[in-house]
Amino acid sequence: MEIKIMKNILDRNQDKANEVRNLLLLKKVLMVNIISSPGAGKTTLLERTCEAMGAEFRIGVIEGDITTDRDAQRLKKYNIPIVVINTEGGCHLDSHSISKVLDSFDLDNLDVLFVENVGNLICPSQFDLGESFKMAIVSTTEGDDKPGKYPMLFREAIAVLLNKIDLIPYTNFNFESFSSDLKKINSQIPLFEISCTRGDGLTEWYRWITDQINISRL
Amino acid sequence: MHEIRIAEDLSAIVLDTALSKNLSKVTKVNIIFGQLIQIVPSIFEFAFRETVRNSVAENAELDIEIVPVKMKCMNCGSDFQVKENLFACNICSSTDLDIIQGKELFIKSIEGEQLWK
Repeated sequence: MEIKIMKNILDRNQDKANEVRNLLLLKKVLMVNIISSPGAGKTTLLERTCEAMGAEFRIGVIEGDITTDRDAQRLKKYNIPIVVINTEGGCHLDSHSISKVLDSFDLDNLDVLFVENVGNLICPSQFDLGESFKMAIVSTTEGDDKPGKYPMLFREAIAVLLNKIDLIPYTNFNFESFSSDLKKINSQIPLFEISCTRGDGLTEWYRWITDQINISRL
Repeated sequence: MHEIRIAEDLSAIVLDTALSKNLSKVTKVNIIFGQLIQIVPSIFEFAFRETVRNSVAENAELDIEIVPVKMKCMNCGSDFQVKENLFACNICSSTDLDIIQGKELFIKSIEGEQLWK
């Protein structure tokens, strides 16, 4: 006999993600799900962002890491609430792990919660965490072919940060090819060309994320 | 590697359904994956086998249908299939598009033998 089921396999994750999203809307907290390869510069971007915006906004961070709390240690000096989720081999965060750690934050005293997902371009883009939006970071040393290879992420994200632009002269990264592939997948997406170590382009990023935080407070 | 987690959630649905419908054996599981999800069928099959080991579904055949990415153009209203990651309307070239197919992670049905009551 055949039994019709007709449902989304990740319904359980989706239900929890909806719960998280509703709670954050109620508390007017912006949650940003940051997705990139390992080493693209997620933690360095958070360091720069805490330095530049920590006085104006109440920032919290969820660090998703397969193992260790090294990323969290780097952010400790900014005196912000940080929770580490060790996935113990898991290649992405899911909405249940986020929901469990939200209790550790005082959501009434938070403006923005950055979630540093596990470094990976495929798996994290399939799992809704209840975030306000997904954002992708790519670094020039990874090559210019990432949008074409991982279309789902670049379609789902609402902004892309291209990091390590100061290293372009030392690589074969072709900006025109990168940008044209990205536009084919997501024509309207804002692209920030930045260097987290040298500081290029970060003012534009601060301005943009400030706007997003202000919108979520309305 | 997201195959493992998706296989776990799939086997939970399969086993819950088998239990509630009194199945003694699940013979087939019919699923649909969209192309954008980037599932590797052989890895998924391997992960699924592990998650249903020693259960009524351990010998179930997996029928995986992979469907291509389809978009609807918000400008001219046409539906079309996306080729080579070019997300633009093939009639009017607009990039104001809605994904109407390609993100599926869907269980259609299971087949099995019912316990005699």
